[in-house]
Amino acid sequence: MKVLVTGATGFLGAALVCRLLARGETDVRCLVRTGSDRSKLEAIAREATGSTVELFVGSIDSSASAARAIEGVDVVYHLAASLAGAPADMFLNVVVASKHLLDAIVAAARPIKVVLVSSFGVYGTADLAAGAVVDESTPLEPHPERRDIYSQAKLRQERLFREVQAKHGFPLVVLRPGVIYGRGGSRLSARVGLDLAGVFLSLGGSNLLPLTYVESCADAIVIAGQSPVAVGQTYNVVDDDLVTADEYLARYRRDVQRLTVVPVPYPALRAVSAAVQAYSRWSKGQLPAVFTPYKTRTMWKGTRFSNAKLKGLGWRPLVPTTEGLGRAFAFHKAAIGA
Amino acid sequence: MTLKVAVVGCGKIADGHVEEIQKLGDAARVVAVVDRELLMAEQLASRYGLPGFYDDLDRMLAIERPDVVHITTPPQSHLAIGVRALDAGAHVYVEKPLTLCYADSRALVLHALGAGKKLTIGYSYYFDPPLAELRELFARGEIGEPVHAESFLGYGLAGPFGKALLGDANHWVHGLPGKLFHNNLDHLLYKLPELLPDDRPDGEVFADPIGDVRISAQGFVRRTARFGDVRDAMMDELRVTLTGSRSSAFVWFSSHVKPIVHTTRVYGTRSSALVNHTARTITLESQSALPSALGRLAPAFDQGLQHLRQGGVNAMRFAHNDFHFFTGMNRLFSAFYDSIERDGPPPIPYRHLLRIAGWMDEIWRQVPQTEVAR
Repeated sequence: MKVLVTGATGFLGAALVCRLLARGETDVRCLVRTGSDRSKLEAIAREATGSTVELFVGSIDSSASAARAIEGVDVVYHLAASLAGAPADMFLNVVVASKHLLDAIVAAARPIKVVLVSSFGVYGTADLAAGAVVDESTPLEPHPERRDIYSQAKLRQERLFREVQAKHGFPLVVLRPGVIYGRGGSRLSARVGLDLAGVFLSLGGSNLLPLTYVESCADAIVIAGQSPVAVGQTYNVVDDDLVTADEYLARYRRDVQRLTVVPVPYPALRAVSAAVQAYSRWSKGQLPAVFTPYKTRTMWKGTRFSNAKLKGLGWRPLVPTTEGLGRAFAFHKAAIGA
Repeated sequence: MTLKVAVVGCGKIADGHVEEIQKLGDAARVVAVVDRELLMAEQLASRYGLPGFYDDLDRMLAIERPDVVHITTPPQSHLAIGVRALDAGAHVYVEKPLTLCYADSRALVLHALGAGKKLTIGYSYYFDPPLAELRELFARGEIGEPVHAESFLGYGLAGPFGKALLGDANHWVHGLPGKLFHNNLDHLLYKLPELLPDDRPDGEVFADPIGDVRISAQGFVRRTARFGDVRDAMMDELRVTLTGSRSSAFVWFSSHVKPIVHTTRVYGTRSSALVNHTARTITLESQSALPSALGRLAPAFDQGLQHLRQGGVNAMRFAHNDFHFFTGMNRLFSAFYDSIERDGPPPIPYRHLLRIAGWMDEIWRQVPQTEVAR
């Protein structure tokens, strides 16, 4: 069976290729763009004895190129996405590229299973009660236009997959990871806080972080992708023994680098958000509404997270959070010192 | 009357168009957006609360009957879309470059004249406050006659647009005759026509666009090749001299200098002026009237005071919500819509934009980039 991984050169993508091999896949095609850094995948391919890891140079910039990429493929793990950029680029790379992939899948001669990596960002958590548990039954965001562009794009992407799946009936599994961390990942998620001209605004406080260690997350995706009972299902991906934003930040400061930190309590953050939004509206966008009360409620109101459904498939985190943080922070410290 | 506006092409710059139109209150409202990819039209309409979105231009024109069409698609499609919009009875605003070449630009201007509709182009910095002030200084005679101008533009390829075109060998920029330069050179050139006086000043719109201006251009690639395709061939450094009968200009585009510079310096017979388009400042340098060492001492203080004053002016503009990123674009929209309402001349003379189209043709002739996208 041949599987295709889009976004294979990325942080999660390379880990996913490793876990696919570890869980018995023997024919893995990695979609790589010209000019992208393939060193991690080349190293994986060299060590993959008994399995084929193909670096397929192409893209999903058009339905035709997507059709070439899925030729002979049985399962597509769709990870490719932009994490930042102008709104139009984000939609182009996340949503329109997905449409090209779907066009190719629908036109393929045989059924192709799709494992879509979505995001926690699709949930509408602003109006949940503090302390509410976010699980797969939590409603999707009812007001995408009030959210950041990444969440808007991921929401539209997931909706597009469901629309096309409902019409054409291919097997679909959706995973929604929380904050993916690890060696090579980002250091400080926005859920922890924001660096403002050398001063770190600690915004997360006692909020739990929906962390998932990159290899554990990749393993969850593979387990769901290989499980027959997962077809048609959606799974959140977060680890066990989650830490709060304050705990994460304290350990980061101890193990990685010293930071000048200004804690911003939630009530103060809500007041600042309201002021920022009001100024942005009054000034007709002279300064962008980086914070709004809605975004603040979404991110920092204090929700909890469930991975019970995923565990029902037999998944367990490969790495305890304490150890995962140790590995990630050792990497970040070395990167800063380099 | 509130003008009904449609935006065709829902890429990055379309956001700026919609935002600036929405700031104009009752003067205009966006009724629809169009993109051949419906998802792109949908996302723009959704984010800005716009009533209509389409993937078919002709259908949109027939249903919405817009008064004005803004064209924000890649330049390869500007002429065809412009003609269809004009034929549908709309006035047309085109993002720069106007078309791919002088002949196409001339055809579009002729079509607008024939249709009795107005046409303009996104020369947005031309309407930013510092360049407006520069024109006032000329009008008051404080600079005297122009002798020489320098127009500099830095363009970092690490930004979103640079990443997009370096990430895709089929990006539309690679299909332009002047490639990366073609998408940016208007910003350097449209500041110059008034500084290089026309030898056909009396409204001969379609006269030879180059006239007595002699053009010499050199371009090269400074980046290290890493793709093995058309992207590696895309030049990223350009130098152009334009020499007229009584004045000259030097144009300089770079993708490598830091900080990313965007300035216009004008040397006149009475004084010289420096416009910093990034900082939105304009400062003058005049011949010191003080003798010997005092004459060398005073200019630094004079420059410092001018910068202080300009900083204060900008702070006041900020306090009055008049310091937006697209201030010039907003003023250009206002001027264009005003010209439609009053049936006055368009904000940018057709002769002006056609001279620039002609200059660009000559620059691409001298700096050929023949390797094109598949």
